Amino acid sequence: MKHRWFLLGGLVIPVTLFLTGCWSSKEIEDLGIIVATSLDLEEEEDRQEEFLEQEGRSGDRPLFTITNQFVTSKSMNSSSGEESSQQSAYKNISETGDAILPTLRNMTLKNEKRAFAEHSKVIIIGENLARTMNLQQILDFFLREQEIRPSVLILISKDRASSTLEATEPLEIPAFQIVEMIRGHDRTTNILPPVTLAKLEGQLNAGSSFLLQNVASRNGTTRLEGVAVIKGKTEKLIGFLNSKELEGITWIKGKGKGGVVKGFDKESGEPIIYEIMSMKSKITPNVDGNGNIVSFKLNIESEGRISEHWVETESTFKNEFLEKSEKAIEQEVKQLVTNVMDKMQQEYQVEVVGFGKQLRIDYPKLWRKVEKDWDEIFSEIPIKYDIKITINDYGTSGG
Amino acid sequence: MKWWKSKFKRLNHNKQQGEDLKSPQSTSEQFTEDFTIDLERLKKEIGHNWDVRFREFQLGETGIQAAIVYIEGLSDKDRIDKHILSSLMTGISEIKVPLSKEFIINHILTISDVTEENDVTGVVSKVLTGSTALIVEGIPNMLVLGTTKEKSRNIEEPVSEAVVRGPRVGFTETLSDNTALLRQQGANRNLSFLHFQVGQRAKKNLVVAYVHEVANPELVEEVIKRVKQINIDIVSESGYVEQLIEDNYLSPFPQLQNTERPDRVLGALMEGRVAILLDGTPFVLLAPVTFSMLLQSPEDYYERWLPSSLIRLLRFVAAFISLFGPAIYISFTSFHQGLIPTKLALSMMGSREGVPFPAIIEALIMEVAIEILREAGLRLPKPIGQAMGIVGGLVIGEAAVRAGIVSPIMVIVVAITAISSFAIPQYSAGISLRLLRYGAMFFAAVFGLYGVVLFFLFLCSHVVKLKSFGVPYTSPTVPYRASDWKDFFVRMPLMMMKRRPNLLRPKDPIRKD
Repeated sequence: MKHRWFLLGGLVIPVTLFLTGCWSSKEIEDLGIIVATSLDLEEEEDRQEEFLEQEGRSGDRPLFTITNQFVTSKSMNSSSGEESSQQSAYKNISETGDAILPTLRNMTLKNEKRAFAEHSKVIIIGENLARTMNLQQILDFFLREQEIRPSVLILISKDRASSTLEATEPLEIPAFQIVEMIRGHDRTTNILPPVTLAKLEGQLNAGSSFLLQNVASRNGTTRLEGVAVIKGKTEKLIGFLNSKELEGITWIKGKGKGGVVKGFDKESGEPIIYEIMSMKSKITPNVDGNGNIVSFKLNIESEGRISEHWVETESTFKNEFLEKSEKAIEQEVKQLVTNVMDKMQQEYQVEVVGFGKQLRIDYPKLWRKVEKDWDEIFSEIPIKYDIKITINDYGTSGG
Repeated sequence: MKWWKSKFKRLNHNKQQGEDLKSPQSTSEQFTEDFTIDLERLKKEIGHNWDVRFREFQLGETGIQAAIVYIEGLSDKDRIDKHILSSLMTGISEIKVPLSKEFIINHILTISDVTEENDVTGVVSKVLTGSTALIVEGIPNMLVLGTTKEKSRNIEEPVSEAVVRGPRVGFTETLSDNTALLRQQGANRNLSFLHFQVGQRAKKNLVVAYVHEVANPELVEEVIKRVKQINIDIVSESGYVEQLIEDNYLSPFPQLQNTERPDRVLGALMEGRVAILLDGTPFVLLAPVTFSMLLQSPEDYYERWLPSSLIRLLRFVAAFISLFGPAIYISFTSFHQGLIPTKLALSMMGSREGVPFPAIIEALIMEVAIEILREAGLRLPKPIGQAMGIVGGLVIGEAAVRAGIVSPIMVIVVAITAISSFAIPQYSAGISLRLLRYGAMFFAAVFGLYGVVLFFLFLCSHVVKLKSFGVPYTSPTVPYRASDWKDFFVRMPLMMMKRRPNLLRPKDPIRKD
């Protein structure tokens, strides 16, 4: 009797295991791996009409186009190396609609493979879309979807976002190129540290203004170009800062890990190149007895080396020259910083660099009062600058 | 005593049977004192055998009848001629009446091993193992003279447990050689050898070895008890002993360690373990054993502790790969593609493009192929075996990929898994993991990584329950014994290992300097 039970148990367990089938099992080669997604506002008439024919339209909602970049497996197949050169390494598929998920589902009609987004690297939002629609709304699906990783980078494109996902080289995958380029942020002050979906969600929920890396496509090559400014209140794009202004932002934040500053010698006018080794900034709010913010003080300290200079008359060994150079660099940094501060305070009237954060830490009660209209309040507050550059190295040559 | 409690009902059942069988043997026939009748009886018992020789002669010039019985080939003819026949035939010149057996033993026979026997079956069984029986007219009992010819092969390096550094000595098939090897290297008056005979139809000598002042007496008692319960026609190899005395015959894990190396046996004895040596096999059993011991090699103690620890850790990794390698591949490619780094996922996608099977079938094809290849390589004559191995490896590795049956990454996974299973020093542990690998693969195919974890939990719950001679199989992890961790993942310096493993509960826990 005991043996019979044992036998029965031994049979039932494997049978039930296999009756379940391999549910949710999907072989890797049957997946269409999405590496990038771009979102654009749809303005082309014929596309709109095409959509109208298929779906009908509810109300007068703006339409947008989603482009998914799929990696084609053939390019990765090493065993058939001869064929690979003809075929592109990626495949972009676009679909138009007025909500994200139905549009993505429609993509099934065009692609034989099941879309799989866990390897998705970037989401690029076109300028027009970001200007007209709320970012929270645009990204709602991506924030909810489990397949999308919170580590996806969010970028803004000045042009049509889908065109940044095109590459001239057929074997390159543009999504990977963009990710690799952003990795370079610790070697230059011209690239914003990557903003992931997780970081962005925090910013959106806090209602504060922030910056997103901007990417542009010029003559088929994709390059990073400045940043886009998102206003916290509306969660819409209000403008752009160019590379020079982004440099200023990096200096204010003190988060740069490397990069160069080009200062000019006063007498000869020749350039002196300062290489940043370390960078530190400190924001001090100055509040009077009535609880009014008088001013902010911005301390910037940096150490670095002279990696190149064109001033023939001077020797880097001389302390006078070093001091002179430090002054020149300080001048240049101040220029960068005030420039961008002016633009933010006057033109855009946003605060994206962390003055509010510092105020929140130092005067939490006061912050609660000003939190709602911080962007506007901030644009009225004067800022004092204190910039200190120390050159403690001049490379391997003293001449 | 509770601690050494044996749970094995099957063995107890056998014990009772064994006692029933023994009873008729005790009423065996005695010899009469008549020379011719006794000789006839012996001839009736074994005379029909071709290899049994009867030699009748007279004692010197006395005219007293005598005969010897021996087995051709099994007994040492030289010794019989020189020390028995020549002494008996020429050494007695005058009649000493009555001719006493003491006189023959003390003055005539120049042979060391002489016993008296008056029981027919006793004499027959001794003659059958190479002794010579001597019957002399007028002397009541038979004399059994030890003339067994030593037939042993040379002591060679064990094939199954090769080490780079360490003695090149392995056990042989001769029991006395094996015990001698242990005595020689571990000269210690406390080294005890207890002798037993096992097998109902063909008796075999079995020796239980332990160090008297070290081994836990309850453990020794338990081993002896289990050995005594063995009830089987013939015990051909120590594998029979292992299977008949182990704790749980349903478990895939070996619960006794087998080894060909005297140094390993001595090391185990000094830790307080018990060894079981059987005549006719070079494989000695060690009890009790834990899983971590199966991943240790004697070489671990011969090399310095840092490299040894590293290699030991590597073996744990190898055991893990050997068990879960293909399972993890299956679960990653069919369920958790998001866990693979993007670039690797893309190349895996590319390499699996065109493979018509799901990952589980692909893995099964390769795993079964490599198991067949291994088995075939083992059976084939050595020179052909090597050639077949190369051809088979090439065919499977290269042609199967070209034909699009499997993907190149699968070949890598299978190769790493196979190599890993060879890195496990104990063959018996290696084949257990090989067996369990298929279970892991099926679980992975049905449930993905969740299934692999599930399988691992099943395995853990079994192993934690498993005991080898009262010692938990997973010690020193479960139950946790911190002092035994010194010789677990890491082999600590020898001077730090002043205590014997606690899990064996040795009589004397301190190692002598």
